Parts: sequence; C-alpha cells; structure tokens
Amino acid sequence: MSKIGIIVAREFNERVRKKSFIITTILMPILMLGLMAAPTLMMLFAKGEQKELILLDESGKFATELTGDEELVFSQRDCTLEEARADEDVFGVLWIGADIIDNPNNVKLYTNSSSSMSLESNLASQMERVIEQERLKRYEIENLEQIIKDVEANVTLTTYRNDLQEEGTDEEATSSSVAYLLGLVLGMMLYMFLLIYGSMVMTSVIEEKGSRVLDVLVSSVRPFDLMMGKILGVASVAVTQIAIWAVLVCGLSAAVLPALMPEDMMQTVAAVEAGTMTSAQAGMDADLLSAVSLATDPMRLVMMFVWLVLFLVGGFLFYSAMFAAVGSAVDSIQDANQLQTPITVPIILALILAMSVFNDPDSSLAFWGSVVPFTSPVVMMARIPFGIPTWEIILSLVLLYLSVAGMAWIAGKIYRVGVFMHGKKPSFKELMSWIRQ
Amino acid sequence: MDILQIENVTKRYSEHTALSDVSLAVPTGSIYGLLGPNGAGKSTLIRVVNRITLPDAGRVLFQGKPITDDDIYSIGYLPEERGLYKQMKVGEQAIFFARLKGLSRREAIARLKEWFVRFGIQDWWNRKVEDLSKGMAQKVQFITTVLHEPKLLIFDEPFSGFDPINANILKQEILRLRDEGATVIFSTHNMASVEEICDHITLINKSRNILSGSTDEVRRRFGENQFEVVFDGDGIKLSQAVEPFAEVLEQSPVADSDLCQLRIRLREGVSVRESIAAANEAVGLRSFREMIPSMNDIFIRAVEGKL
Repeated sequence: MSKIGIIVAREFNERVRKKSFIITTILMPILMLGLMAAPTLMMLFAKGEQKELILLDESGKFATELTGDEELVFSQRDCTLEEARADEDVFGVLWIGADIIDNPNNVKLYTNSSSSMSLESNLASQMERVIEQERLKRYEIENLEQIIKDVEANVTLTTYRNDLQEEGTDEEATSSSVAYLLGLVLGMMLYMFLLIYGSMVMTSVIEEKGSRVLDVLVSSVRPFDLMMGKILGVASVAVTQIAIWAVLVCGLSAAVLPALMPEDMMQTVAAVEAGTMTSAQAGMDADLLSAVSLATDPMRLVMMFVWLVLFLVGGFLFYSAMFAAVGSAVDSIQDANQLQTPITVPIILALILAMSVFNDPDSSLAFWGSVVPFTSPVVMMARIPFGIPTWEIILSLVLLYLSVAGMAWIAGKIYRVGVFMHGKKPSFKELMSWIRQ
Repeated sequence: MDILQIENVTKRYSEHTALSDVSLAVPTGSIYGLLGPNGAGKSTLIRVVNRITLPDAGRVLFQGKPITDDDIYSIGYLPEERGLYKQMKVGEQAIFFARLKGLSRREAIARLKEWFVRFGIQDWWNRKVEDLSKGMAQKVQFITTVLHEPKLLIFDEPFSGFDPINANILKQEILRLRDEGATVIFSTHNMASVEEICDHITLINKSRNILSGSTDEVRRRFGENQFEVVFDGDGIKLSQAVEPFAEVLEQSPVADSDLCQLRIRLREGVSVRESIAAANEAVGLRSFREMIPSMNDIFIRAVEGKL
C-alpha cells in the first residue's frame, strides 16, 4: 500500500467510526424528510378549534350562500345585534347591512377574541363571490350559470424540450417546478458539503500541526502526499456519506413510494412514461406526474447521483486544497478566519449564482457560472435538473479537474512551508511568497 | 566509517540563514550529541537529514552515498514535541506510523507486542492517547520511532518529561540500540546526559558549526591545562616548587581531612611528568588530576564566544 493509501485509510477509518458521522448520516435524510413534511404537519396542528360565528344578515342574500368549514361554522339567530354581541360563548358576530350589494363595505365583524387573517380573508372572499353573483343577476341574462361554467378555463402547461428529445423515444414532458426544486436541493447540498467538509480538512490540518503529529509524519511522508492523503481521505468520507444517502433515497423511492401512491396514479404515470398517454389526457397536473415519475425511476436518480458525486469530489478537491493550505499556515482556528475569507466568498457567490440559474438556466451568466471552476460545482448542480447539453457538463468537469491539479500544486507549496511555521500568523503577501519559493 | 556525512550544508529562509556551511560526520555506532542554543539551527539540520527540507547548498551522504527518499526508512526521528493523534488508540496509532515507515501490518503488530511487553505497557493497546500522561505518550512515541529498526536514530530532547526511573529505562534502551548496531543522534540541552552517553558532539551556534569532536577530546581541549593537586604538607613549599612549571591559581583545604588542594595551570611547553616530579619532591602527593571542564561550561563558553 502506498503512503497516500495508508493515510487515506487512517483518515477514513477514524472519521466513519466517529459517532457524529454515524448520527448525521442516519439523521440527515430523516431531518430532510421532516423538513419537507413540516409545512403539512404545521397545517395539521395549526388548526384551532372550530369557531362559531353568528350571522345577522339584513340583506337576506347570504344565509344560504356562506358555507362553513373545519375552522368556521355559521349559526343564524333571530336577535338584535346587541343581543348577539352579548353572547360570549360564540367566537363573534358577522353583521351584514341591507345594502351590501351596492355598498360592499357595509359589513362588520365583532369578535370576542382576536381574529385571524386567514379567517378574515376567507369571509371576504366568500362574500365577494356572493356579491358578484348578485350583481351579475341584475343583467338578467338567461342561463347565466351555464355560460359562466362554459367560459371558465384552467390552463395546465406541458413543456417539451426539442433539444433534449432522444432519437426514437416518444415525447416526454418536462417540468420546470420539479427541476427547480431538484436544482435547489442539489445546489444547496453541494454548497453545504464544500463548506462543511472543506473546513473539516482545515480544522484537521490545524489540529495535526498543533499536536505536532505533522513533525513526525513529515519525517516519513512527503508533505504533498500528506496533504493529498488527508484531502482524499476526507473526500472518501464525503462520498461514502452521499452514497449511503443515495442508496437510502433510491431504495425508499423505488420500494416505498409506488406502494404509497394511489394505484390509478401509478398507472397513469406508467402510461405517460410509456408515451401512450399525455399528461393532458390523463387530466393530471404535469408537475406532479413528472415528480412522481422521477421519484419512482431509480435510473434517473442514479444518473443524478453520478453527476452529484463527480462535481462533489471535484469541487471538494478544489476547495479543500485551499482549506488545507490555510490550515497549514496558521496555529489556531481563530487565526484561520481571516485567511479563509477568499475561499468562502466564492462558495457563497456560487450559491447566489445558482439562485439566478432558476430564473433562466440557459443565460450566459448561468453558463459561465457553471463552467468557471470556482463556482461550477454548485451552479452546475443547480442547472443539471433543467436538462442541459451533456457537452457543457463534460466541459465543466474537465475544467474543474484540471484546476484541481493546479490548485493542489499551489496548496502543496503553501503547505510544505506552512506546516513548519509556528507562532506568527502569515499575511497573504507571505503566502504568495511561499508559493513562489 | 561514517554513517552520516554533512558537507558544507547551507539553508537560507527568506529572512534569515538557518545553516551556513555546516559540515560534520557521524561515525557508525556512535552516540552523537547535537548541541546548541535555541534557534541555532539544530532543527533545520535535523530536517535536512530527514529530507523534510532540502539544503540550498552542500550535500548529505548516508552510508557514503547521497541521501535519497528511500533512506528515510532507515532513519527514526523522535521530535521534541510529542506528536500523536490524541483521539486514536495507542495500538492502531503505532501500527499506522510503523506502516508509514514501510513495515507490513503483521510485522508491525509482532514487533509492537514485543516492545509493549518490554516497557510493560501491554494494557495500553486499546487506550486513547488523550488518556495517557505525557511520559506515557512519550514511551509510545519512542517505540514508534525505533520500531522499524532504523540504522540512524535522531532523538530531540528524548528525556524531557520523564521521571528519573523512566529516563533511566530509556537510557538503557538507547544504549542497547546502539549496541545492536544503531547510530544515535541526540539533540539536547541537557549537558549531564551528553557527558553521560555521547561519545561525539557538535555544537551549533548562529547557524554555524563552532565545535566538533569526540566528547573526551573536546573536554580536554577546553581543559586549559589546569590541574588539581591534593597533598599532605606545606602549601607554600609546594607553590615554590611548582612555580617554574605552573602558575598557582588557588589553594584551599580539602573538607573533612587534613589534606590541602592546589589548583595550578601548567605553563606552555611544560610536561605533566616534570610538574609531578617537582611537586612530589616538595610535599606528600595524594593526587594530581587534570581538571576537565563540564560540558555545561564548555557550552556556555563556546556559545558566548570565549573560546
């Protein structure tokens, strides 16, 4: 086994056996699922008790038209406003004036406790509907309801990409919303991995330097091999983590999701995928269909993960080399803060660029952002779900891995000087002079 | 035969020169003391030998040939600051370092077991380094340094942090390694240990080699021809008798006895025999001993430029 191999093996073994690694690897997917489910759960739990509202309708138009729901129930009483307001057992009183159709503002809500925005907008929209209907009736058009029903339209857009159509396959609908969501998740994931694992390399170099393990190590291993061993070791940990997540996610979606989905939906998805039916014919939301078909198609997920791993490793090697160089130059994490700014700024910039990708995945900004190595891993990962030409991905990867070699060379120069520097925190100027040495 | 020859090595850093034209030769099988004040360039010299840094000029010969990367398998280096992974278990860590020095896993385990038994630390195998005391960690580090049976051992302050008992165990091990054929280079400030075990020394000051040689020869050189005469009789008579041969420096009684002692410095060109004969005529001689300065004195005098 080569020396780099021995070092990689040590880094890997030490890290994957840590409790923190095992816990985050298992908990992260659960946490992410939880985050996705959170809005639904919150809606479920946010619903309070049903509120009773006394309806005093002087116009007589609303009694049958206003409908209650889980939140709200209307009760009608024969009493004066004062009597109704005196009742403290109900949530409140809705008083509607006789001239409400002509004067929509002549309505008052009296409540015994604080009202809510959702309740008020619910009431307002229901009343607007009734008033609009009443006003329309004044025109005395025959078959009005039928006409309105006929006029009503609901557009569902199905997008096809001419440039991505493979030969011999039937047309496949794409969905921007799914791409957006996927791009967001992948871009964020890359961003977090680069930052977290990158600074992991830096911290670990600082620790080795502080504990003087480096002094022992460099007497048997070349500093460059040492640095690469550490970087590759941490990279292998990152890839392992991603792979575990990939297997979990793919396995879950392939095995569990189809069973959970209603059967007729799965059939429709299968039909749409087979090209025998378009989503429009199926009468289902294209976004939903596309999402379901992606989530239940392991091959597409696997391809996505392959790109993810390639960009993750490339981006990680690129950035962690710089993190290692900074770590080697300082004695403590506090000292590192200032020196690592030039590293973290491009990563954050990459995330900002990735956000702009969602507006226009094919803009020249998006293109250059996904090709220039400093930002390419994050931006490209955000772009890939939108479907972009493979040559762009390959170009981006080639440039990334070429600059990894350059960056490792530069970082190695700083590293081999830095590991022996104790005490004074070096300036950027000094770092530059180390590179030139 | 010299295992290590350093020829006119110069190493410059951007702001200062760490080594200027340093030459020395370490005889095979010797225990070689590398002395010098802090910042004199000892660490840089050790790094050059370890091929951690390359010299700007000059060359390093290992066993008569220019040193190569493969030669570092034949060198064991114990740095002054103990460098072990705190979170790692002792056994695994020792295997890791042994493998970096070219041992196979199986070979490493076999040798480690042997060493652990020798130091009586078998129980430590599965303990984390952070749970060990400084001296304990140092023992582990010592083992990882010598495990691959290097021909050349470089110890930087090996005794610091050890209690006298463990320091003695360590000393015995170092001597044993020497007897088994290893050459040892010592970098230290502890002059007592230098006197005790080093047979050659080099003193580096301000990046230069200012003093090299065998320990005995160096001490004699610094002796300045001073002798201590212990006698029974009249001090004045003795002084007069040796006056033509030596300069009398000081007379003092010897504690707890009737004897006296006289410190003298022999004049140029005078033989020791003549002086003894003259002294013997005058008083009852008990001893006539050359005063050899301690390494401590030599160190201070050499560094302060009073050569």
